[in-house]
Amino acid sequence: MTETPISRGFRSRRREQTAKDRLPPGQYVTTDFPILSAGPTPQTKLEDWTLALQLGGSLLGKWRWDEFETLPQTTVTRDIHCVTKWSKLDTSWQGVTFDDLLEAVGLADPPEAYIMAHCDGGYTTNVPVEDLIDGKGMVVTRYAGLPIPPAHGGPARLLVPHLYFWKSAKWVRRLRFMEQDERGFWESLGYHNYGDPWKEQRYDGD
Amino acid sequence: MTHNDSDLVLDGNAAAGLLQEIFVLEITTAQIQCEACGSTQAVGSLRLYAAPMAAVLRCSHCDASLVRAVRTPHGRWIEMTGARRLRF
Amino acid sequence: MVIAPGRRLEWQSVVVRGIVAETFRVKSLLLHAPRWRGHLPGQHVDIRLTAEDGYQAQRSYSIASPPEDEVLSLTVEKVDNGEVSPYLVEDVRAGDQFELRGPIGGYFVWTVATPDPLLLIAGGSGIAPLMAMLRHRARRKVRNPALLLYSSRSLEDVIYREELDAMARTDPDLRVVHTLTRKQPEGWIGYRRRIDRELLAEASFPPEQRPRIFVCGPTSLVEAASRVLVDLGHAPLTIKTERFGPSGWTHDSQ
Repeated sequence: MTETPISRGFRSRRREQTAKDRLPPGQYVTTDFPILSAGPTPQTKLEDWTLALQLGGSLLGKWRWDEFETLPQTTVTRDIHCVTKWSKLDTSWQGVTFDDLLEAVGLADPPEAYIMAHCDGGYTTNVPVEDLIDGKGMVVTRYAGLPIPPAHGGPARLLVPHLYFWKSAKWVRRLRFMEQDERGFWESLGYHNYGDPWKEQRYDGD
Repeated sequence: MTHNDSDLVLDGNAAAGLLQEIFVLEITTAQIQCEACGSTQAVGSLRLYAAPMAAVLRCSHCDASLVRAVRTPHGRWIEMTGARRLRF
Repeated sequence: MVIAPGRRLEWQSVVVRGIVAETFRVKSLLLHAPRWRGHLPGQHVDIRLTAEDGYQAQRSYSIASPPEDEVLSLTVEKVDNGEVSPYLVEDVRAGDQFELRGPIGGYFVWTVATPDPLLLIAGGSGIAPLMAMLRHRARRKVRNPALLLYSSRSLEDVIYREELDAMARTDPDLRVVHTLTRKQPEGWIGYRRRIDRELLAEASFPPEQRPRIFVCGPTSLVEAASRVLVDLGHAPLTIKTERFGPSGWTHDSQ
């Protein structure tokens, strides 16, 4: 069995850029903002956009765009980490926290332990409610102070920056409470169910 | 912000490396029928999304997902519920 | 025509035998692949680089050499901030090794067994697989009408320029039409814009001739050209595309 040949002088250039204590294992910093999409970019008009909070068959709340914009707005600066190994530091987002969504529908406590995010284009991702409350999760509408472009998930996307960025679902339209955890698009195709970048939970089995 | 997002689409042919790890026969020239719209085309001519996370191959007529394939350190996954059949 | 790989694609060790500087950001790597079983024009390979610390990176590149050549040639364009292409274009020397597997992709293939007129449309480094087709056609001395429409930023960016000139000079059945979209030399009377409907209507084979069409390059060029070709009346099944992704990125998506 022949050994894998070493390519003389080849090294990962991206590893030269460091911010080591802020970077989860295996990540490199990019100043770019790469886009990855599992399908064509939906082009939902603001006048047609709604966001729904759902429990079983019933609607806990539903907001049109103008209504959503009147909910309490929060701006955060976070690092984001993509499973394809790029990280982007100090990204600024504005939107509505999950806590404020719960409050807006009159819930002191979340009714179930899990959420499935449903998005235009059919994408889904599952997140434990524990990872959305206390400011950990938001539905965001602005990036760096400007409306999020469709290619980056606009009009609104989920933001759960402490997990790999595939959990920050683009084009989010519905958050459905689930009693039992169910796997979303990537989670049912070999990717890790939880996705903690600090434990390098990229794939199912990591 | 980066790139015009439609630039991210590739052709099914570009997924051939991953797919040939799974299929024995030449996959890009296989004819695949879309369950959603019934149209048939060569796998190589499908629209390829999601590189490098996976190969998500979509019908070029109706954009339905026909094949999704992922290579992980723990194994390979392929899901083809959007395809009615393949002919090699 | 169907190519059954027969057995699984295996990684094999290859050695760089020579390097050709095509343009200031593009090089062709001439490889010795002892276990190579041959390929068809238009196919590509995956290459894999392994660093001393075990880190690996993998990319796809079209094979630019024809099957008639024993030496395998890959043409690589340096992508700014890329991880692999700067290494291949700037650092690689003769004698260096890496891994390769292929040939891959039987869909985007043309051989001289297809006698129809051949229409090739290339943008930037998208010329590579189409060059394999033209070199194959030249080696087999086949004279079906062939036309290459090649979009580049400037004359300095035209890959294989002299070879294409020579081919066009010596083969009356081959036409090479350049369009230079950003910078043109003094006295340039050729096209100086992106491929559009008018350009294609003027310069390419009409649909009645039923050419086999291959389009390769940045996704935006490929999509624009394909739309126009269908608009002009070419049957979609006669058009095969190989999108390279965002302009300037080829397959370097990581």
